[in-house]
Amino acid sequence: MQDLNLSYMLAPRPVWQAWGHQLLLLIWAGLVAIGVGGCWQRSPHPTIEITLYQNWQLQPGDTLAGYTVAGGLGDISLVLGGQPIYAPYAGTTQLDQRGCIFYSAENVPAYMLRLCGVSTPHLGSVQAGDEIGRGSMLHLATLRKQPNGTWAMVEPDQTFIERLLQHP
Amino acid sequence: MQVHSHPIHHPTLTKGISRPQLLACGVLILTLGLSVDFRQTRSALVTPANAADDCEQVVQPKATLSRSGLAKFLTIPEGKPRQAIRQFIHQPYCQLPKLHIRAGAVAEREAYPLGFDPRHWLVVLYEGDQYAGFEFVLHAGS
Repeated sequence: MQDLNLSYMLAPRPVWQAWGHQLLLLIWAGLVAIGVGGCWQRSPHPTIEITLYQNWQLQPGDTLAGYTVAGGLGDISLVLGGQPIYAPYAGTTQLDQRGCIFYSAENVPAYMLRLCGVSTPHLGSVQAGDEIGRGSMLHLATLRKQPNGTWAMVEPDQTFIERLLQHP
Repeated sequence: MQVHSHPIHHPTLTKGISRPQLLACGVLILTLGLSVDFRQTRSALVTPANAADDCEQVVQPKATLSRSGLAKFLTIPEGKPRQAIRQFIHQPYCQLPKLHIRAGAVAEREAYPLGFDPRHWLVVLYEGDQYAGFEFVLHAGS
């Protein structure tokens, strides 16, 4: 017969020790709940949904004959080779359902940029000079707000595109 | 020589603080720590964009926008001439530097501090004589 030392079970145990396991479990459950709840609220940046003025058939992100449409009519495509894109002004970045970034600057009303093909996007509020993301091929569309609430693709000024590509 | 026997577990770790109390304190600190959104802290620490800092030329130093002026302004659709906008919001506090966003168009921006909420400014963008849009900007200096 094995010699079992049962004396610790018979000895009177302090209250904290008796409730210790339950208390620890409760604490962990609480912490997990807080963590999950917090992440649920904070992590997903809300996606943006806009209506384009030009209702063209093919948009970036669409699939055609099994291939993904990377850029559409109205986009300017730049070979970035993994180099970063910078926010020219303080503003906000959001993703749309197709995974393109929409960047709007606080001090620049009526305009928004659509950046497709960007990996590792920096979402949320950005300061001037912050990296928005990187990509091998950037497809850039400049959008201008229309009186009916839609966004029209317009021809961007060359100097404005340069500001996206050069760190201020 | 007398040997003092100490119990292995003692509910009081330090003078006056029991282990459950210590645990409760730990939980409280952890909860507080988890509740803090560090991204908000970051944006609070970083000075936000400031329309006033960008002012290129002050037009009307005492200009503020009233609640009724703003309400009327918000009813005007984009595309109206500048004169139609000025009927309701008059002269701006200042003009921000001109921008070239769209090829062949010069964007002019005018800023109005809100009289009822000086922390926010209204920035209005015109292209040529045409009103293109507005944005509310947080003014850090107020």
